Amino acid sequence: MALIEINSLHKTYNTTAVPVHAVNNVTLHIEKEEFTAVVGPSGSGKTTLLNMIGGLDQPSEGEIIIDNTNLNKLSTSAKVDFRLHNIGFIFQAYNLIPVFTARENVEFIMLLQKRPKKEREERSNELLKAVGLQDRMHNRPSQLSGGQQQRVAVARALASRPNFVLADEPTANLDSVSAESLLDLMEQLNRTYQTTFIFSTHDDRVIKRARRVVTLRDGKIDYDKQNVQTVSGE
Amino acid sequence: MLTALAWKNIWRNKKRSAIILIAIIFGLWGGLLSGGVMMGMSESMIQTAVNRYLAHIQIHAPDFRKQQDIGLYIDNAEEILTKIRAHDSIESASGRCRLNGMAASPTSTFGVRILGIDPHDEKKVTRIQDKMVRGQYFNSDRRNPIIIGQKLADRLNLKMHSKIVLSFSDLQGNIHYLACRIVGLFNTASSRFDEGTVYVHSADLFRSLGQPLIHEIAVRVKKEDQVSLIRDKLNLQLTGVSVQTWKTLAPELAFISDMMLQFTYLFVAIILFALLFGITNTMLMAVMERIHELGMLISIGMKRFKVFLMILIETVFLSISGGLGGMALGWITLTYFTINGLDLTIIATSLESFGSSTMLYPFLPLHMYLILTIMVLLASTMAALYPAWKAVKIEPAEAVRTEM
Repeated sequence: MALIEINSLHKTYNTTAVPVHAVNNVTLHIEKEEFTAVVGPSGSGKTTLLNMIGGLDQPSEGEIIIDNTNLNKLSTSAKVDFRLHNIGFIFQAYNLIPVFTARENVEFIMLLQKRPKKEREERSNELLKAVGLQDRMHNRPSQLSGGQQQRVAVARALASRPNFVLADEPTANLDSVSAESLLDLMEQLNRTYQTTFIFSTHDDRVIKRARRVVTLRDGKIDYDKQNVQTVSGE
Repeated sequence: MLTALAWKNIWRNKKRSAIILIAIIFGLWGGLLSGGVMMGMSESMIQTAVNRYLAHIQIHAPDFRKQQDIGLYIDNAEEILTKIRAHDSIESASGRCRLNGMAASPTSTFGVRILGIDPHDEKKVTRIQDKMVRGQYFNSDRRNPIIIGQKLADRLNLKMHSKIVLSFSDLQGNIHYLACRIVGLFNTASSRFDEGTVYVHSADLFRSLGQPLIHEIAVRVKKEDQVSLIRDKLNLQLTGVSVQTWKTLAPELAFISDMMLQFTYLFVAIILFALLFGITNTMLMAVMERIHELGMLISIGMKRFKVFLMILIETVFLSISGGLGGMALGWITLTYFTINGLDLTIIATSLESFGSSTMLYPFLPLHMYLILTIMVLLASTMAALYPAWKAVKIEPAEAVRTEM
């Protein structure tokens, strides 16, 4: 069984004039350890789809089953708990807590999970080392570059030991060097920790590195294919 | 870590937090200082009355206070005085012969209350000796010395060493005249008292009356907060007399004392209520500025209850910091004035008409600081409710998309 099963998913916004079908009958299965990019032009429904997979938005129709749990059947509070233990988030604007250091930012999600202090410290050290920021762990976000902040965000996303990581336009705010470096890192983490990554992007650099590319157009899947370049390059 | 995050969040916008902190500090400081002055004034009024005449406790024959009859004297006054003076908690006691009569000068007459006292005993109970403006407190070899108020002297056109004739009736209703020589003039804060009260030696009155008559025993206790307890003990020990504290004898003073405390609470509550809107506004701005971040926290799995709690803790931290600052500043200021006094000679006439001294010693009872801390906590919790409610209503999907 797939890690994520999306069946006949719809999301319709009922505006005053005409209903807008942001996601229209999407069916998609994502296996464990996949490195998948959801691509498409602006307004194609990428972010809406990712929000629904992440339990941040409620589908109008259809179902999302993650690791045998039907998201539609969870209460709002249960969804928060589900996200905490199963999903890692990486946002376009990094979204770190500005008053915390890099290490505190990574630890915070484990604190929400009520993990013991020792484990929190060890895990945050390990992850910050893995993302190459062992020397900057006591720096606050304002003392880090955009690329470094996004690396902290990646470490935070993995800190909760999630089933998968959702990344909404993770490279959109980065220069090309930082973007390449971040992609290298995420690929490496995908292999090291066997973590499933799902991106929304319209950045060609990300699309080239993804092993599976799902293209959306007007809320529908236009095509879904294995990225031959990447697969053959492995 | 939630409390650490809340504390750090307060200091994100230092200028804004500092402004609200200063508002809380000075608001509370003003409230405490005003309350302290009001309490000091009520205490001054009580002390003035107690030291002038009232004393802490008075003992009379039953019904004396209602009827003011010369025949309602205390039968075994000397025995009672001996018993009272044996109490460890009582500092001193003085027996008074209290008569209503007339004071006459060559030009005028005026109705007065004649107090026959043992000057040595009386000065241990009240402090009329400290209010002498001319002459001295019964320090004279003259026969039938008398001390009267400056205002009575003015009314009767009398001066120091003038002769004054007191007239009063005895138990049988016979009128007696006692010619006295003024050896001292006093001036207390009460014009009514100064015009209507004269002090003579009790022995001189007894000689005229033909027998010793004690109508009133005035008692000063060592610890003022034990007055009621001592009254209860005396009531159990003494029979056939009425034992009353100053609160019963002068209920208006007791009322003022209680009201001042209530007014102080009310005053501070009004200040806190006004500050509450400022705090709410500050926290609301803090929430609106952080919608993106709060949305992220809910997205990654922070329960809405915890978001609510975090905003609540931030508000309480902010308010308590200001509250403690205000209370500390208030305490320091009040302690300074409690020790050095607050000289309000500039409004002496108004204060004296209230029976208060011009030198006030503002103070607040310690338990009031505890109650104020609770009031600040309650106010901050109320102030936090709306911003915290706004925070938990954030839709994470929308919030994380919000442009920073």
